[in-house]
Amino acid sequence: MRKKGTKILLGVLVLLVVSALITFAFAQDMDQLEKDTADAAFEASDKGQPDPSWQGKKFTVAVLASGPHGAISGPLYFWRPYWEQLTGATYDIAEIPFGELQAKIFTDLATETGNYDVIVGPSFFYGDYIANDWIIPIDKYFDDPRMPKWDRDGIAAPIRKLHQWGGKWYGFNNDHDGMVIYFRKDLFNDPKWQEEFKNEFNYDLPTRPDSWQEILDLAKFFNGKDWNGDGKEDFGISMHLKVGEQGFFNYIALAGGFVVMPAPGDDSAKVTRYYNQFWFDPETMKPLINTPGHVRAMEMLVELCKYGPAAMVGWGLGEAWDLFLRGDCAMVFTFGDIGTSSQDTRISVIKGKLGVVPIPGSSEVYNLETNEWVELDEPNLVANESGASWHGVITKYAEEPDMIAHFLSWQATPEINHWNVAWGWTGVDPGTVYDFLEPVGQAKIEDYTTTGYNEDDVREFLDAYNTMWFGYPHSIPYLRIAGAADYIESLDIHMSEALTGQATPQGALDRTAQDWENITEELGREEQKALYWDAIGYSGE
Amino acid sequence: MKKKKTPLKEQGKKWFIAPAITWLMLFTLAPLIYTVYLSFHGSRFLQVTRFVGLKNFINVLTDYRFWGAFRVTIIFVLGGLVLSVGLGLLFALLFNRQIRGVQVFRTLSTMPLFTAPVALGYIFMIIFYENGGPINNFLTMVISKQVPWLSNPSWAVFSVLIADTWQWTPFAFLVLLASLQAVPKDLYEAASLDSASSWDIFKHITFPLISPVLGTVIILRIVEAFKVFDLPFALTNGGPGLATRTLTFNVYTNGLRDQNLGTASATAIVLLVIVLLVSVLFFKRYGSNYE
Repeated sequence: MRKKGTKILLGVLVLLVVSALITFAFAQDMDQLEKDTADAAFEASDKGQPDPSWQGKKFTVAVLASGPHGAISGPLYFWRPYWEQLTGATYDIAEIPFGELQAKIFTDLATETGNYDVIVGPSFFYGDYIANDWIIPIDKYFDDPRMPKWDRDGIAAPIRKLHQWGGKWYGFNNDHDGMVIYFRKDLFNDPKWQEEFKNEFNYDLPTRPDSWQEILDLAKFFNGKDWNGDGKEDFGISMHLKVGEQGFFNYIALAGGFVVMPAPGDDSAKVTRYYNQFWFDPETMKPLINTPGHVRAMEMLVELCKYGPAAMVGWGLGEAWDLFLRGDCAMVFTFGDIGTSSQDTRISVIKGKLGVVPIPGSSEVYNLETNEWVELDEPNLVANESGASWHGVITKYAEEPDMIAHFLSWQATPEINHWNVAWGWTGVDPGTVYDFLEPVGQAKIEDYTTTGYNEDDVREFLDAYNTMWFGYPHSIPYLRIAGAADYIESLDIHMSEALTGQATPQGALDRTAQDWENITEELGREEQKALYWDAIGYSGE
Repeated sequence: MKKKKTPLKEQGKKWFIAPAITWLMLFTLAPLIYTVYLSFHGSRFLQVTRFVGLKNFINVLTDYRFWGAFRVTIIFVLGGLVLSVGLGLLFALLFNRQIRGVQVFRTLSTMPLFTAPVALGYIFMIIFYENGGPINNFLTMVISKQVPWLSNPSWAVFSVLIADTWQWTPFAFLVLLASLQAVPKDLYEAASLDSASSWDIFKHITFPLISPVLGTVIILRIVEAFKVFDLPFALTNGGPGLATRTLTFNVYTNGLRDQNLGTASATAIVLLVIVLLVSVLFFKRYGSNYE
């Protein structure tokens, strides 16, 4: 008996040692592969002609706090030795948590302290940057022979707009955020569930849903069933909705199809007073946030919430993603990061089962001009740049702006930027022609499979983003006026009230509208109006 | 009559309190005066813009967020007081006996006091995690039900209160235990000779003798509860909605997140006035205990 116990113990020990060795060897292989591909990207990238006077100099980058191997801040650590080797200069990295970004960065800029020379920050800071003249335009660097060349035309148009203001460029290409729907392809394609769905909803299970009404039916259908056979009820949809985190991006992305009405005539993307609008009436700066389109969208979000864990109103990104990745949820509505994390078998059981569709549309949209609902045969598809689309800008107080421009230009080169996208741990999401697969794009499938992606999964992932960035006819204008973070904070709080039953969707959005009016009054209606016109490209026609 | 001169030695002694006065001026009075100044001014990006009179106070007092935070703060003050002082007193009475291992319990009970509130928030976030957290797992096994600890507005307030109670009960326990142990034993012996009941002993001996210390614990606890910020910040971020947002949380969001120092200062002044009023009322009612 004792001998048997010893044998079992020894067996377990041997297994543990072998698994540890395999994991270690695999990690070593991946580290080496990562280094080899990064070396190749470095060799291939344009390096410009670094100025010898930069040697020994230093600057500071403020960035989202995610650690040395985390999203957005990670690549700064990773590429630092390469850039040091290239220029002889270096930089410090100041990590700032999401909730403190605005306070720390704006205080530094407003007090002209100059702790941060570069901000790799969210795009919704632009209004304040421009209104206060805190950052510098970068057009002069495009023809500067010292600077590495990057492909501005290759960036998807909705994202490209975020880097510009008033016809000038301020931002360097980096990340491309947008929200899409990820789902369990194996589940959606299972004949058993397809039959049950048809019996229950009287139409075929939409294997590639393109409207929120379909998403709602799917969430309703898969919620509360034990479809993964673990003896517990599973969930329909997962979202990150904790107040003070990034839940409001879910709402914005969802609301696009209900609110953004294409313009009549030849150019449906033309921005007029009533068409292709989302945030404010550009003539009066009266908030549109409590108009019927928004209310219907909020009602949809509240309804969707019933078909996921009630706890998700207190969830940040990690918890929402985890539920989907561990196989207990049919869909997750979020940023590009799931494309990458679903491939990591340490945290995901769904590698090879990933389905992705671009953001769904709505079969009804509210017309602000006629004040009527419009029913559509095809869903109103509206792309979103929901997210921060983290990218670098140079502050007015930077002592060596040319040297910094070199670094950010080099990070924006197709080789380095695409390497960041292909190694998804960087948090840099796809959004350029060189990220998408041939023949519509320029990337090769090996760029991704080499780093560990399942081929089918990455095709789903890239197709969805390519369609949204380059195929969708319209896009939600991004809020980039002064105080954008304050407007968004108000939406975030009241959205949470609606989701937890503390207010009706209409009541919550009425409160938001009232807050927005107060913020606009505080910052100056005319000043805000001028910024808004610039930000969305409205000319008063 | 010729005024008697203070000896030079006595005059020199006065200078020993100079550092304390300087400290008070620099770190208490000066910030207070500056806060009052700011509360009458507009500001943007932490910079003073113009004099606005009472506008900040009017904005604060007519803002539903202020009254929501006021309600939440009062819940924390009253709930925290009843739970942590009540439990602290109960534990102190229980452990004011010769029980084996009481020293170990006393040492263990101090641990929550040394935990940073932010860390405590994250610990309780794990404990209250609704899908797979230890408490809900246990409840699922026992009663097949789960509690929406952080996603339901009412439960979220209660969850923060539990964490707050966990942190502050040891404080009340330790202080009250010390005061109980200072009660002369011969009083209890005399009472037991007179065959007094346990309740009579508590009512006529224990309570009157520990009441000054109990009063101190209560007032400290009230003031501390008015200032609660770190726990809801880490545990719920003030949500869902505004369900766990306290007045100090409003000061933080107004001042540091929205960078509106005027409104933040006005909220802080209102909070200060409330705490002062409560303290004055308390000492007016129970001040004789401290004379």
